[in-house]
Amino acid sequence: MAKGLTWTVADADHMTQAEIYGEVLTQLGHQNDKIVALTADLAGSTKIGRFQKDFPDRFFNVGIAEMNMMGIASGMAATGLLPVVSTFAAFAALRCAEHVRTDICYQNRNVKIIATHSGTSFGQAGTTHHCTEDLAVMRAMAGMTVIAPADAYETAAAVAASLEYEGPVYIRIGRSFEAPLHKSIDDFDFEIGKAIKLREGTDITVIATGRTVLGAIAAAEMAEQQGLSVRVLDLHTIKPIDTEAIMEAVMDTRRIITVEDHNVYSGMGSAVADVIAASGKGCVLRKLGLQDEFSIVGYPDDLLHYYKMDEDGIAEAIQEVMKMDFEEDEDWEDEV
Amino acid sequence: MDREELRTRLFLRAALPLTKVVREDDKLLRLVTKNMTGVVQFEIKNAETAAHLIFADDALDVKFGKHEKPTVSFVFKDYKSLNDFFTGKLALPWIKGLYRLDIIARTVPLLLKLKMLMPEADPKEPEQRALKVKLLLYMVTTALSQLNKAGDEQMTKLTKKSPDRIYQWVVENGGPAAYLRMKNGKTKSGRGIYTRRRPFVLMRFPNIEGAYQVLTSQAPLVDAVKQGFVVTEGAMEYSKEIGLRMQYIEELMA
Amino acid sequence: MALKPAELKKLKETALRIREEIVKVTYTCGGSHVGGALSQTDIMVALYYKFMKIDPKKPQLPSRDRFILSKGHGGVGHAVILGDLGFFDQEELLDFNKTGSPFGMHLDTLKVKGVDASTGSLGHGLSIAIGMAIGARMQNKKWHTYCILGDGELHGGPIWEAAMSASHFKVTNMTTIIDRNQLCIDGDTEDIMALEPLREKWEAFGWRVVEIDGHDFNQICDAIDQSHKEKEKPFLILANTVKGKGVEFMECGKQWHYAGLDETMMNDALASIRKGK
Repeated sequence: MAKGLTWTVADADHMTQAEIYGEVLTQLGHQNDKIVALTADLAGSTKIGRFQKDFPDRFFNVGIAEMNMMGIASGMAATGLLPVVSTFAAFAALRCAEHVRTDICYQNRNVKIIATHSGTSFGQAGTTHHCTEDLAVMRAMAGMTVIAPADAYETAAAVAASLEYEGPVYIRIGRSFEAPLHKSIDDFDFEIGKAIKLREGTDITVIATGRTVLGAIAAAEMAEQQGLSVRVLDLHTIKPIDTEAIMEAVMDTRRIITVEDHNVYSGMGSAVADVIAASGKGCVLRKLGLQDEFSIVGYPDDLLHYYKMDEDGIAEAIQEVMKMDFEEDEDWEDEV
Repeated sequence: MDREELRTRLFLRAALPLTKVVREDDKLLRLVTKNMTGVVQFEIKNAETAAHLIFADDALDVKFGKHEKPTVSFVFKDYKSLNDFFTGKLALPWIKGLYRLDIIARTVPLLLKLKMLMPEADPKEPEQRALKVKLLLYMVTTALSQLNKAGDEQMTKLTKKSPDRIYQWVVENGGPAAYLRMKNGKTKSGRGIYTRRRPFVLMRFPNIEGAYQVLTSQAPLVDAVKQGFVVTEGAMEYSKEIGLRMQYIEELMA
Repeated sequence: MALKPAELKKLKETALRIREEIVKVTYTCGGSHVGGALSQTDIMVALYYKFMKIDPKKPQLPSRDRFILSKGHGGVGHAVILGDLGFFDQEELLDFNKTGSPFGMHLDTLKVKGVDASTGSLGHGLSIAIGMAIGARMQNKKWHTYCILGDGELHGGPIWEAAMSASHFKVTNMTTIIDRNQLCIDGDTEDIMALEPLREKWEAFGWRVVEIDGHDFNQICDAIDQSHKEKEKPFLILANTVKGKGVEFMECGKQWHYAGLDETMMNDALASIRKGK
């Protein structure tokens, strides 16, 4: 975690997820003059425009030309600069997948990609602006580090960590209005590749990533009221994956539910399945996410519910895996 | 349900019950009503709509519907008259049991205290401002729930397809809190913090003063967030939806 | 300014030598993108043997000029030049295309010394070159970036994204050259997907365009000189070339985009090259 970041919790209260990372990036920009930022006409939407305010000469908007952007970033990195690129996930990971792969990963260029509006977080914009395939695609690129931070604080930590890390990094976040998971940036330890164990538990483990982590915690709390002990892992790094934390969960609980705002094919759940299968140990695995379907239009929170990635969906999955029924709160009288 | 009938329902079910809170809070009122025994009813002439206050054993209970034998009855000729009464306009009801001046005399101060809910009321003492915040929080949440139960389209649109969701309001550092729960068309309002699930939308007021500004609509919500009077967490679109309905309540009960 | 006779002679001899080597490698490795490697040779020889500031013993020299062969399939020609200059042992080219060899149809920057970017997928090189040029400018470096594009490569969108941005960002510490040999795999570019009026397109995108005969060293060198002086717009050298140039039976033949040679054909090719001026 970079030292001396001067914004405070008071600021954070007013800042959305993307804004916090914009602040952090700007602060780090003051410490390291090799950092440059690029966007494809989405400076405002992705909030990387914050960097532009302090460093207009180190900021490049290439217009709606993501492929060019990745190529330019590659070239810049080759000269010793440290480019941070930001656009929507659908465009960063799919539109210019080949450029990311060939110009950045294959040539091992030190470029950091911050993909916003990932998963179904762009709700109302509809499927063309959703991205439920990016984890699969980015994960399959050799040399790419893939991170899905759970909230604004983790995003800031991830951006800072990625800048100290040598090699291409892909960080996928929501659209910036997601609720905070942690109380502050000092409230947790962030290390690329190390899952955060948010809750201890022995009956079943929920491994969540990105904006689904909050719901996992809520579901675990609800299950606890019914007497279940639920472990929750915040798996922010999909690659390199924290094999140790996963195997600990396998051995201790033998039941794993994964949740991701992504297709269940080839995403985080599949990455977890790789680990379990390779170990040869028996374990129940339920993957929550989009069940190989394209997303619909809706408010982002409704979509979490619709695809059973919210606390109700996770709680239901917990119930099914544990073969238990939870008691409903059926008191509908207004308190007087 | 016509507008006046709806308003009456809100006043009886969301505002009137606050007499309990007001009585708990104010030592003098508590003392004055300590030894009261009797039932004070509010009713509409020729209608089923009613609510009554039951004073007994140094306690006040609020119930809805008609009591068998109310000691005193405030009978309003129609919904509008009751609404006018509750919004501070001169609209004297017909009082049955007028001879029980002792009851009436001790009930009226309770009702008068409710006037602090009105926009014009702007107490200066911190405890009174805190009380107003508490009353407004309880009133708004209950009114929202009652709006839904009355079948008001604005509200049912939001609750009908809602999964189990909690809208929570809280003033930090031990301040008052209230919530609205909705699920598949049903609603429930409650005081304090709902513990069985996390809030879907959380409106957090760092202090009483900020809450006061927001809840009395002296600070429009957009500015309020900027100035730090309130922090909204959770589903952005839905905090907007609930905000709109809070405004609607305000219009109805003005 | 015309080249001095001695210098011109040197460049021509070098070009000859490079062409021979390309043909030999094509023979040993079983096939190559020989047509395009031959059409770009004179331009590349001018760059590598006259203009570019490089040190074969220090391939990562920070102050070196950068070269991006955006038409990455011309890699065989690039590798031959790099070997000839001594970036690596020329013997290694005998393993061209073989398993485990650092040399394949498209060169790898992480494996081959002297290669600044791994190209091959068309349409990427100009963006990368622009990134490098801007990187140089931002860090106050004086080195220059050169980029060679194929003409078929201009069919795809990304090149035009890059072209627009070079103009927008006023990238003048870069020289771009189009190896306009008129052919792509399936035939004449004008039959497949017409590019003309090509010069006007680039000018419309805000570039300074100089059209030359891509096999005339005087014109090549003159144009490169001009590109160094240009301070307002990104500079394009539209070099009209002949695919397969130097080997008479290959010239203008679309089938020589990628081909193998047996010993007889190789000798015929070498003879043809040596006959050339």
